[in-house]
Amino acid sequence: MHQGYYQSMGAADMAQLQATMQAIELACNSIQMHTNPTAAEATLLSLSQSPRPYQACQFILENSQLPNARFQAAGAIRDAAIREWGFLEPNDRRGLISFCLCFIMKNANSPEGYVLVKVASVAAQLLKRGWLDFTAAEKEAFFHEVEQAVQGSHGLDVQFAGISFLESLVSEFSPSTSTAMGLPREFHEQCRISLEQDYMKAFYCWVQYAAFNVSDRIIGANSEIPEVKVCSAALRLMLQILNWDFRGKNSIENSKRGMDIFYDGMKQENDSLRRSECILVQPGPAWRDVLISSGHVGWLLNFYTALRQKFSCEGYWLDCPLAVSARKLIVQFCSLTGTIFPSDSGEMQRQHLLQMLAGIVQWIEPPDAVSKAIKSGKSESELLDGCRALMSMATVTTPLVFDELLKSLRPYGTITLLSALMCEVIKDLMENRTEEETWSWVARDILLDTWTTLLMQLDASGHKHSLPPEGISAAANLFALIVESELRAASASAFNDEDEYDYLQASIAAMDERLSSYALIARAAVGATIPLLKELFSERIMRLHQGRGTSDPTETLEELYSLLLITGHVLADEGQGETPLVPKEIESHYSNVTEVDKHPVIVLSGSIIRFAEESLDPELRRYFFSPRLMEAVVWFLARWSSTYLMPPGESGENKGGYENYNNTQHLRGQTTNALVSFFGENDQGKAVLDVIIRISLSTLVSYPGEKDLQALTCCQLLHGLVKQKNIICHLVTLDSWRDLATAFTNERVLFSLNAAHQRSLAQTLAVSASGMKTSEASNQYIKSLTSHMTSALVELSSKNDLKAIAQQPDIILLVSCLLERLRGVARASEPRTQKAIYEMGFLVMNPVLIFLQAYKDESVVVYLLLKFVTDWVDGQIIYLEAQETAAVVDFSMRLLQLYSSNNIGKISVSLSNSLRSEADAEKYKDLRALLQLLSNLCSKDLVDFASEPIETYGTNISQVVYTGLHIVTPLITMDLLKYPKLCHSYFSLLSHMLEVYPEIIAQLNVEACSHILGTLDFGLHHQDIEVVDLCLRALRALASHHYKDRGDGKVGLGSHATSYKDADGKFHEGILGQFLRSLLRLLLFEDYSTDLVSSGADALLPLILCEQSVYQNLANELIERQVNQTFRSRLTNAFQSLITSNNLSSTLDRMNYQRFRKNLLSFLIEVRGFLRTV
Amino acid sequence: MSDEEHHFESKADAGASKTYPQQAGTIRKNGYIVIKGRPCKVVEVSTSKTGKHGHAKCHFVGIDIFTSKKLEDIVPSSHNCDVPHVTRTDYQLIDISEDGFVSLLTENGNTKDDLRLPTDENLLSQIKDGFGEGKDLVVSVMSAMGEEQICALKDIGPK
Repeated sequence: MHQGYYQSMGAADMAQLQATMQAIELACNSIQMHTNPTAAEATLLSLSQSPRPYQACQFILENSQLPNARFQAAGAIRDAAIREWGFLEPNDRRGLISFCLCFIMKNANSPEGYVLVKVASVAAQLLKRGWLDFTAAEKEAFFHEVEQAVQGSHGLDVQFAGISFLESLVSEFSPSTSTAMGLPREFHEQCRISLEQDYMKAFYCWVQYAAFNVSDRIIGANSEIPEVKVCSAALRLMLQILNWDFRGKNSIENSKRGMDIFYDGMKQENDSLRRSECILVQPGPAWRDVLISSGHVGWLLNFYTALRQKFSCEGYWLDCPLAVSARKLIVQFCSLTGTIFPSDSGEMQRQHLLQMLAGIVQWIEPPDAVSKAIKSGKSESELLDGCRALMSMATVTTPLVFDELLKSLRPYGTITLLSALMCEVIKDLMENRTEEETWSWVARDILLDTWTTLLMQLDASGHKHSLPPEGISAAANLFALIVESELRAASASAFNDEDEYDYLQASIAAMDERLSSYALIARAAVGATIPLLKELFSERIMRLHQGRGTSDPTETLEELYSLLLITGHVLADEGQGETPLVPKEIESHYSNVTEVDKHPVIVLSGSIIRFAEESLDPELRRYFFSPRLMEAVVWFLARWSSTYLMPPGESGENKGGYENYNNTQHLRGQTTNALVSFFGENDQGKAVLDVIIRISLSTLVSYPGEKDLQALTCCQLLHGLVKQKNIICHLVTLDSWRDLATAFTNERVLFSLNAAHQRSLAQTLAVSASGMKTSEASNQYIKSLTSHMTSALVELSSKNDLKAIAQQPDIILLVSCLLERLRGVARASEPRTQKAIYEMGFLVMNPVLIFLQAYKDESVVVYLLLKFVTDWVDGQIIYLEAQETAAVVDFSMRLLQLYSSNNIGKISVSLSNSLRSEADAEKYKDLRALLQLLSNLCSKDLVDFASEPIETYGTNISQVVYTGLHIVTPLITMDLLKYPKLCHSYFSLLSHMLEVYPEIIAQLNVEACSHILGTLDFGLHHQDIEVVDLCLRALRALASHHYKDRGDGKVGLGSHATSYKDADGKFHEGILGQFLRSLLRLLLFEDYSTDLVSSGADALLPLILCEQSVYQNLANELIERQVNQTFRSRLTNAFQSLITSNNLSSTLDRMNYQRFRKNLLSFLIEVRGFLRTV
Repeated sequence: MSDEEHHFESKADAGASKTYPQQAGTIRKNGYIVIKGRPCKVVEVSTSKTGKHGHAKCHFVGIDIFTSKKLEDIVPSSHNCDVPHVTRTDYQLIDISEDGFVSLLTENGNTKDDLRLPTDENLLSQIKDGFGEGKDLVVSVMSAMGEEQICALKDIGPK
């Protein structure tokens, strides 16, 4: 019919079309040859951007000999049609879709598959674009053709084309793979629901039928036949449909109401995928007949089994596309779950899984033979897919059902098979340690995930359930093999000197997930695995002592290192901010053991602690305790002590003590078991704590320069101990703790700790003050801890020759150390010790200013000074009395002024680029600290525990902070705002200030005001949504303040907001007018997230109300620019209804804001499409 | 508490020593260090171990503060490194001579005429232009290990 259409045209038109075609072909060729690609791209772009290019495109598609030109023409149809969809006639819309459909059917045998795929995807996109407008009959008409094709009534090529069109269609309708088309999420959501409800099952049946029909011929043939292509396409589409995120009936009904158009569907999917890589298939009861009762699964399994026989034939092999698709579909069927199965207590699902398992088990059994075959060259894909299928089954069943499944086929359970399979994999890993990413790596990860899935379910169901005895012994065997392989790997790598293995932190992070899976397996068989670990551990320690002085211990050290990591994971969980409990499996398994010397966990922990204690002996330390081993020891002690050392609530006696234990719950119930009380405060707890403190001190003093070890000791071990209230109160009574504090103040060697560790240590020591019995004692303790630091700083700052000596490296080091320590103490501010910490800061106020002057060129020290003040103010401000506040505020202002006078107008130049960017980064960090300081001061206005209002001493926080901003903003250049964190701090402070104290802006001078507003305009066009949001909030605050104030007859923003003509007759627009213009331009023409529309509306409304005439002018300007009459009237109406519909009034109340948000959204949907051509 | 030990007491005659020993582990990024006899600013520090169970060592990347050349060094982290004594002094600029030397006013009223203009284009043009416009300029002179160089400039306002 299209041919006829062309013939009816005049010869002139024909010539025109020919010319266009030639131009496009030429452009395509020149892109391919890479001659003048820009011009060629411009030609192609002009086609898709020209109005109604459809005729030309269709002509090219049908007549061009050049596949690339056809490809481009299809793309042009898509671009133009999506853009012009709003005003295409219904006939034209349908015409374009059926043209595309006809094209793929007609050219189904064309060798250029990519053109067909492109045209199919264009058809799919256009169909979706009009989906909600087409009537059911119209859609039927399109799909009738497709159905015919897919069923195979027009031959294999057409059948394939039909299936691949459906493939494009399904992926176009699936939210994660759809094209945006500039339409709101709601549209996509409705299309998705409609397709799922009305068509999905039909599509599935069509391809199921197609696959079924060709499969017999494939099985019968001895070589590759064309049917194979159709069959694998059909299997692929079935897989794609099963991958669909089914929402079921209920959600469809709720969708209108419940759908949040701002929620990002993609993100959520990614999150849930992270752990298991297993997508659950939950299509709902409507699919039961197709997927379950039709015998479809049986056919699929049989088909694959038949296919396996043919792998020797030409054209078929284990990894041929057909086999791959079939296996993937089978694996996908294993994760079928949900309401598709009737509520018959899982019977039908069990049958289904059994059927699947019976098919799959051939791929993985017997494990040793399979592994051997792979080693001698067979492809591993069946094994890996088999593992994935087990993984899916483990996800959709309970561990018991999972284990039972195989028992009806074999004399053993599925868990035993799983264990045997994994043992083979581990064995292979032990043999081929060197290569990475071999099949056994992949298989190990999948199988570990399977174990984790199974055991996590047990974990979640409480400790009543455990694996069946056979499963437990399978887990024990597996764990023994895992440990063996890890130890072997350790001793083999002991002499490796590769950097990547060097850091404990890094290796733990990389291994952590694996280690916690190992731990789950170990805990499933606690009875066997803990004695095993104990035995391995004693063996290694004995070997160490026996070989002392005679043999190189390195291999044993590395094995111990590995064992400590594994044991740490098995015995204790990571707290992640909470106090971890004794793992349930360990607790329940040993709940009856009362003799402490027979309790395996106590014996194991005890032997590790005794071993750790040996590190206190200098001689043994030199022999055994390498920094790396010590790292593992300290890490283990930290992890272990947070679970087992003096756990809260182990005894009720201390309830009436001086610290309030109300929060401590009896988490463990009433059973005081031997394990918990043994390391409790009434038994060995204190002694163990003492040992741990002494070990910490010795690692800090005896391992100079070992930063990683010191980091673990300061930040993990000690820091973790003082987080627990029940430990703190014993801590402060220990001599070893006092020794640590004394060493901290006096020992020269502790001055050479890394800065961050000094800070952390100071903080830890200061925090422990809360364990003192009285608040006087706490304050006294802080005072004695800090007095040496403050007096040293005071003394140094008052030296006459400070200027001369300040820049000596040793003095710089001393000052930075002391400041880091003060900062650490300042961060430990608590109500109880607040007085002493305030005193500390008060004493060094003057020295800080003196040092800021003396070190103005020493950026490192300057930054430390600023950070100290910021942290100190942060901890103190809300508690300060009015007089103290006045002093702190005054001090902060002097600090700001001094910093500003030292830095403003300064140009530092360096020849080296990297130094220059360093200098920028330093400046940025300084400014960020200053902004934080201002924010901290701000908080005084919100939370204040002072006994009298601070105003009594003439302090006005808002005034102060504005003055501060006034000082700081000139230092913040637009370049510096490119640092995301600084940008955030700056805009959050600014928007906070403008929201809470908008009136102050009127009092600023023109220069300061224009700087602040300039940055606001900059922020408005920032890429970061949050920054834009903050700016919009600031704008809203400014404009609504002005509007309300004017309404009350006051000045509002005063002169800043008024437009005027200056002496030269130049027009200066008021700031609100400028922002209105800028915001409207942003909303209409620029790219932004839909999340911003509401806050945009909130800012736009008051702006419009303030500057009605500017708004009218802007609207007129835009309307006049429109040439097209239809658009013109649409635009006029839209502008009108933006400010009138929904009964919008000219007040700024909540209701009105809400109405305006709706108005703006519909306004944007109405006009953005044509105003903004993509 | 025995503060008497702190060594700033004894080094009151500052300037005598050009470098100071400091434990390698305490030298941080943005600090100074002497590498191959040159004063450098540290732009990168990383630690590694000599063998798995050996001791830590620090790997420094420094940039010569005068020539901007990149230098590297590896030192066991418990050993000492030399740290240069870097000072900066501000002088008011009084004159720029034809042959590329500047004349600076010292704090006690003398002049200092032995410094060349900086080679950096940007700084150079800032100094020349600012001086030409009659602005009051203060230049920072950085010195370490017997070398000096103008490193920064500040406009303290036209008068």
